Amino acid sequence: MFDQKGQIRIIEAFLSIAVVFSAILVSANLPSSPNLSRQQSLASIGTQALVELDVDGTLANLIVQQDWAAMKQALDVMLPLGVSFNLTVFNEEMQQVNSQFIQNSNVLGREAVSVQYVLASQTPSVEFLVLRLQLGWAN
Amino acid sequence: MASLLVSAQIYIVDIGKIAFDTDSDSLRDFILSIELGSRHVIAGSLANITNGGGTSVLAVNLQRWSSVLSRQYFFGKNTLNYALREISPYTSGIWIDWGTNGIGISSAYSSFTYKLSDRETEVDQTYFENITTILTVESSYHTQGGNTKVNVTVSLLNEDKPALANQILIYYRAAGNWRIAEAASNYEMTDYGNGTYTASFDADIPSPTIEVSGRVIDQRQILVQANVTSVQI
Repeated sequence: MFDQKGQIRIIEAFLSIAVVFSAILVSANLPSSPNLSRQQSLASIGTQALVELDVDGTLANLIVQQDWAAMKQALDVMLPLGVSFNLTVFNEEMQQVNSQFIQNSNVLGREAVSVQYVLASQTPSVEFLVLRLQLGWAN
Repeated sequence: MASLLVSAQIYIVDIGKIAFDTDSDSLRDFILSIELGSRHVIAGSLANITNGGGTSVLAVNLQRWSSVLSRQYFFGKNTLNYALREISPYTSGIWIDWGTNGIGISSAYSSFTYKLSDRETEVDQTYFENITTILTVESSYHTQGGNTKVNVTVSLLNEDKPALANQILIYYRAAGNWRIAEAASNYEMTDYGNGTYTASFDADIPSPTIEVSGRVIDQRQILVQANVTSVQI
C-alpha cells in the first residue's frame, strides 16, 4: 500500500515537472507576439511622423518643390534612431514623382512595414499625392 | 503551478492589449490625416479663388479629394462626403467680403462625413473645416507744411489667431487713381512679428479725403483686401 502511494507521488512529481517545462516552452515561444506589436508601433511611428510634417503643409510643399534632400532630412529628424526608411511619392494617377531615392539605408532590416499616406497640397493648384513609407528596424 | 499559468495568461492578455492600442492609434492617425488633407484642400482652393479662380474650384477639388481617398483603401468601404456651407454669408462654401470699412474677409467652410467599414472597423466621423483670413486696416494722416504723412496699420488673422503675411501691398488714392505706397517718398514698413505691420509714407494728396487700401497674401497664399478712409489727426 505504502509502495503504491510512493509510486503515485513519483508519477505526480514527473507530471508536475512536465507541466512546468511545457509552460516554460510555451512562454519561450511567446515573443513572436511582441514582434507584431513592434511592427505595428513602427507603422504608427511612421504615420505620426508624416502627420507631424503634414500639419502645416510642409510635407506637400517639399514634394511640390521636389526638394528630396530636405524631405530625407525631415524624416531623419522625425523618426527615431535605429529606424531605416524608404519613401516613394506618387501622384493622383499613381505615377512615381520622386526622381531620387528618399531613404537613409539600402536595407530596411528585419520586420519591415509599409505605411500608405494620402495628402493634399495647400497650394492654389491643389495636388493630391500618395506616399508609401517603408520602415524597418536597423538592428 | 497555477500562478505560473495565470501569469502566462496575463502576459498574453497584456500583449493583446498593446496590439489593440497600437491599432487604435493607427486608425486615429489615419483619420487625422484625412482631416488634414480636407483642410489643405479648402485652404488651397480658397487661395485659388481669392487670386481669381472660380468659386466652383472648391467643389471640384473636394470631389477629387474624395475620389482619391476612396481609391486608396483596399480592405473595405471608404467614403468621404462633403457639404459646402450654404448659410449666409456663405455661398457654395465661400465668403469673400473685402469691405471699405477697414475689414476684409476671405473664408471657406465645409462639413464632412467620413465612413470606413471593413471586417474589424466601423468609423463614422463627422467634422468641419473652416479656413478664414481676416485683414484689418487702420489709417491716419497729418499735414505739416504742405506735406501729408500717412500712417497705416495692418493686422492679419488666420482663424482668429495672429498670422504672418507673405506679401503686403499698401495703396492710396490720389486724383482718382490708386497708387502704390511703396513708390511714395519716405515709405517705411515695420513688421512686429505678430501679424501686425505698420507703414508710413509721405504723399501729395490734394483731396481732404485720403483713401487707403491694404492687399495682403497670407502664408497659405490666400489673398485678402480691405479699404479704409484715413482719419486726420
